[in-house]
Amino acid sequence: MTAAAPEPKANMGRPVPRYDATAKVTGRATYASDMPLDNPAYAFLVTSAIAKGRIDRFDLDDARGVRGVIDIITHENAPKLKEAKLFSNGGYAGTTIQPLKSAEIAHDGQIIAVVIAESYEAAREAASRVKVSYTATAPSASFESAGTTTAAAKGQNAQFKEDPVVGDFAKAFEAAEVKLTASYDTPTQHHNPMELFTTSCAWMGDNLVVYEGSQYVYGLKNGVAEQLGIDADKVRVVNPYVGGGFGSRGSMTPRTAIIAGIAKRLNRPIKLVPTRDQGFTIATYRAETRHEIKLGASRDGKLVALRHEGAEISSRPDAYCVGGTKTTTRLYACPNIESLVSIVRADRNTPGFMRSPPEVPYLFALESAMDELAVKLNMDPVELRRINDTTTEPIGGKPYTSRSLMACFDEAAKAFGWSQRSPQARSMSDGDWLLGYGCAATCYPTQMAPSAARVRLQRDGRTRVEVAGHEIGTGAYTVIAQTAAERLGVPLEKVAVFLGDSDLPPAPVAGGSNSTASTCSVVMMVCDQIRQRLFKAVMPSDSIADKAKETVGISPAPSTRAAKGDRPLDIEKAFDALGVGVVEEYGEWKPEGAPLDSFRALHAGQPRFVGGHQMKDKIAYAFGAEFVEVRVNRFTHEIRCPRLVGAFAAGRIINPRTARSQLMGGLIWGMSSALLEATEVDERNARYVNDNLADYLVPVNADVPGVEVIMLSEQDDHINPVGAKGLGELANVGTNAAICNAIYHATGQRIRSLPVRLENIEV
Amino acid sequence: MRSFSYRRASDPDMAVRALSAAAAANNPLTKATAQPLAGGTTLIDLMKLDVMRPAAVVDINPLAHAWSAIEPDGEALRLGALAKMSDVAAHAEIRRSYPVIADSLRLAASAQLRNMATLGGNVMQRTRCSYFRDVSYENCNKRNPGSGCAAMDGVNRMHAVLGTSDQCIATYPGDFAQALIALDAVVEITGKAGTRSMPFAQLHKAPGSTPEIETTLQPGELISAFSIQGRWPRSVYLKARDRQSYEFALSSAAVALDVQDGTIRDARVALGGVATVPWRAREAEALLKGEKFDEALAQRVAHAAFADARGRRHNSFKIGLGRRVVARALQQAVTMEI
Amino acid sequence: MSDKSSSRTSTFDRRAFMAGAAGSALVPMTARAVAQDANEPVAQDPSLPVEVTLRVNGKDKRLRIDARTTVLDALREHLKLTGSKKGCDHGQCGACTVLIDDRRVVSCLTLALAAEGQEITTIEGLATDDRLHPMQQAFIDNDAFQCGYCTPGQIMSAVACVKEGHAGNEADIREYMSGNICRCAAYPNIVAAVKQAAPEIMKG
Repeated sequence: MTAAAPEPKANMGRPVPRYDATAKVTGRATYASDMPLDNPAYAFLVTSAIAKGRIDRFDLDDARGVRGVIDIITHENAPKLKEAKLFSNGGYAGTTIQPLKSAEIAHDGQIIAVVIAESYEAAREAASRVKVSYTATAPSASFESAGTTTAAAKGQNAQFKEDPVVGDFAKAFEAAEVKLTASYDTPTQHHNPMELFTTSCAWMGDNLVVYEGSQYVYGLKNGVAEQLGIDADKVRVVNPYVGGGFGSRGSMTPRTAIIAGIAKRLNRPIKLVPTRDQGFTIATYRAETRHEIKLGASRDGKLVALRHEGAEISSRPDAYCVGGTKTTTRLYACPNIESLVSIVRADRNTPGFMRSPPEVPYLFALESAMDELAVKLNMDPVELRRINDTTTEPIGGKPYTSRSLMACFDEAAKAFGWSQRSPQARSMSDGDWLLGYGCAATCYPTQMAPSAARVRLQRDGRTRVEVAGHEIGTGAYTVIAQTAAERLGVPLEKVAVFLGDSDLPPAPVAGGSNSTASTCSVVMMVCDQIRQRLFKAVMPSDSIADKAKETVGISPAPSTRAAKGDRPLDIEKAFDALGVGVVEEYGEWKPEGAPLDSFRALHAGQPRFVGGHQMKDKIAYAFGAEFVEVRVNRFTHEIRCPRLVGAFAAGRIINPRTARSQLMGGLIWGMSSALLEATEVDERNARYVNDNLADYLVPVNADVPGVEVIMLSEQDDHINPVGAKGLGELANVGTNAAICNAIYHATGQRIRSLPVRLENIEV
Repeated sequence: MRSFSYRRASDPDMAVRALSAAAAANNPLTKATAQPLAGGTTLIDLMKLDVMRPAAVVDINPLAHAWSAIEPDGEALRLGALAKMSDVAAHAEIRRSYPVIADSLRLAASAQLRNMATLGGNVMQRTRCSYFRDVSYENCNKRNPGSGCAAMDGVNRMHAVLGTSDQCIATYPGDFAQALIALDAVVEITGKAGTRSMPFAQLHKAPGSTPEIETTLQPGELISAFSIQGRWPRSVYLKARDRQSYEFALSSAAVALDVQDGTIRDARVALGGVATVPWRAREAEALLKGEKFDEALAQRVAHAAFADARGRRHNSFKIGLGRRVVARALQQAVTMEI
Repeated sequence: MSDKSSSRTSTFDRRAFMAGAAGSALVPMTARAVAQDANEPVAQDPSLPVEVTLRVNGKDKRLRIDARTTVLDALREHLKLTGSKKGCDHGQCGACTVLIDDRRVVSCLTLALAAEGQEITTIEGLATDDRLHPMQQAFIDNDAFQCGYCTPGQIMSAVACVKEGHAGNEADIREYMSGNICRCAAYPNIVAAVKQAAPEIMKG
């Protein structure tokens, strides 16, 4: 076994290699822009050079003179599209700002024209020759800018339902023996998945095929159909592989319907490959946030009062917010809690989900504050968490379905060597480097959504699983194949899985870390339907059918079946009895507590999430603890993070290999969010400045010498049939706080604003 | 990217003729209608961004057989301008006798880019100023002379604190040039009239009132080689950056010392990441000559190196950082085992 | 100096002559922007397509393309070899890494015309018959990818990294693999894969 394939512990599946491994190492995995098109025309975007104002005039003569140009689309001649409604408003879009509709400019880099040409090179040249006259007005860039408007999130964002509150914060804080008040802020960040935001559209008569990297093929299909005013069944979205999502491809962006409309008009397939810098403005991003935390505690470390106020940037028309107080008010035991989230509107493109949208900024604030409190209390920060650990969340008093937070702290602390830490700040060094150790908690809500699947079993055991899920790097193909193989008792290599195609049975968005729980739950259920048909065929009496159900039905730990004496079914015999060559079943599954309209919404491309704090009588989260070593160079003040150790508990781990990889990547994301990533906004003109991969820094290989992932065995029978908690967004939470806590330990300097750069160090 | 005619040069004469064909339209060099293509890592990049719009591209890679030799002869070094960064960085004798050169190359860009980029192209690389690279900003004196400078009061964390003018604060981004200027390299230039040589220190021009003029190279001239006298085994290149690799310098120092019996006989200090051109800190290095090294001296040198530095909103930190980098590089050079 | 021209140049010039001769007479829409002699004025409109022969994975491929076409776009848009990926198009990510004459380069900053006469190796040319290259197998064994988009570039880069002699220890592998960004951050697994494959590659 390599480090990549850890030995499974209890309630873990086998660390089999990825289903799609060979395709990916040979270059045969086809991403959206790899799909062959018949005689495509190439599109190149022209984007706005101002953030607010209007277009007075285009001068297109020069651009039209470029050899090979077919057409130039502006708001003056664009295909008419219907309004795109926000996903949070019953629609599909991540923004209501619809380019090419009028001369108005709402943000930097808005699409203002699309050049279509015979070649990519000609389209690019013509785009550079499009001349635009603007009337610009002074835009508001961010928090500091004049002209922003601020209002409470509650009431303007349908998905932000409450500012959690319990007890009497003001009174308890006033009376608290130890108090902390601190402000924190986090920067704008862009997902920058490696695959660009490409779109190819091809019409066959009235039917449209869209090749686009998407985390939600059903959402995109329905959304594009709605904008084009056509039946959703006429639209097919295909993307068997997605080159990274991280949230950027979860909701529909305006480009898709525009390209589809142009392709229809020109009666020719169109291929759009936007540039990296255009990706900063034609999709979404993680908005910058501001926080104030107030903690009151007794001398022995018990929290008595907690207040978290957050403010987030959004666009003028759209009240997007992540509202992480739903989590930070429930993480620790505390009788008096208050919170408030506000949205600040600026002249920006609408932000959106980015890997652990609420938890990354909000736990940065809380977990930094917890460390500051530990310093004030002269207490080990791990012990402070232990003292305030809880099995019920403090706002509604609901029990956690399972919570291994302190077990994670203990495992990670041991692996890291936390006991070697000298508690005093600035007390450890190694040559040119000041050393600091820091830690923080992470958590992420466990979420599920309705999903459908079709499974076909042939008599030779070959199995085909179809579900419109998404392979964004998480290992979706692999865990679905494992689930089907295990459930049907067929060899893994006989299972074929088909994902990423809206002609397949609907699955939810690959977001909120719900995919494994949702798609594997439905695949389990449909496999059981097949088993029951076969069992009934062989022994068509009720008692046997019941036995089949009992022994192969939905149970949290399939390994317990053996103990019940379940003998393998003779498939040949069953097929003969049924008189068929193939058994195929389709099924739709919804999690306990899902709303009545779940299945209608499932087909309409609207996920109905259940989970986290929104479950009836319980609350479900995955937990973890992260420890980091930070080194700060005495001379250059360069900050490096040579060691990241995380321990995580996330229910059943279907594949320890793919799970470990996601957690490892998450830890590195967390480090990156602390030390590297920030989109610089030019305050004068509300434009993104470092919109490329040389200047928007993400980690390179040399940045991460040591990453250790520990997966704890955890069984949770109260969440979903699979017993799995999502973990794709678990590991990149809290890391930013752990790093700042370690920087404090190394230097004695508390930094409350991200990212931490060498100029912020004052040793 | 605008259309261009592509020609492959078969010999230097042909290349020079092709590059100087339309001399009148060829000034300044940065806007010349004919541009040489070597590794392409600057030219193709900037052509895609529409920053450079040559009508003709002359591929000079076929000259590599004559212009890419790496020739250390024990007492001097000659480097062909078309030698690849990676080959020079990996050369055993360069690593031994000129570590500042090897490290400045090794710490630059990525393995792929170092395989492509040539030494000549490397020293001619252009600034990474975001406002220069984004043609949607009209106000860039380097791109559009007289249009203003968007960086002056914009996001200027990466910008220069030395050698700036009221017209331009764009940083010279390279690493290798600092090693060359520190070692008093001579650059050999091939043009219509044959070959001429000049001190490398005279190649780059500070922006002053003409930031569009970046070098003294004339259209139709190509760098064909660099040469350095002496061996500099006691030399280091120290580079500070946010990321551990694959990033331009926030601040760097090329330091070369000749120390005998504890006394500094000769000292060279050049600065990168902080200046508009490859920057030789001559006044600072003068403080070292004839002295014995100690920490206080390092501090005096570091302060002298940045005596004229001028920071702006986001880049003032480079002054303090630059001083610490210089002091540390000196320390490393003094204590290195050779 | 022309007597010292490399074989690469003379091959090129011979082809250029042939293409030019055929081009003007038979294919009016095709021009040859590449002149034999740089002194010769270029009569043709530079925006017209040019002919180029690329040697990719051991086979000559004749193309008529825009002179601005990069090796990356030639592979992806004209040769249907989509394994090499476009992640930034500016040499900032390494997803397009291929080998040209056995050296790793970013194909997005390499003009196809400039690569004529050179041997281009892409991810599609790495496996022989049905047997994976040791580096490909090592990437599978060590789960050295997630979304897979950067993977072809990582693997091409890794093969070169080993052959350059930069895979002797983990620190070297990390540094010399830093030109390939993996946003999923599979880095530690990539290092493990390079370590695993290195001895076999050096041996074979």
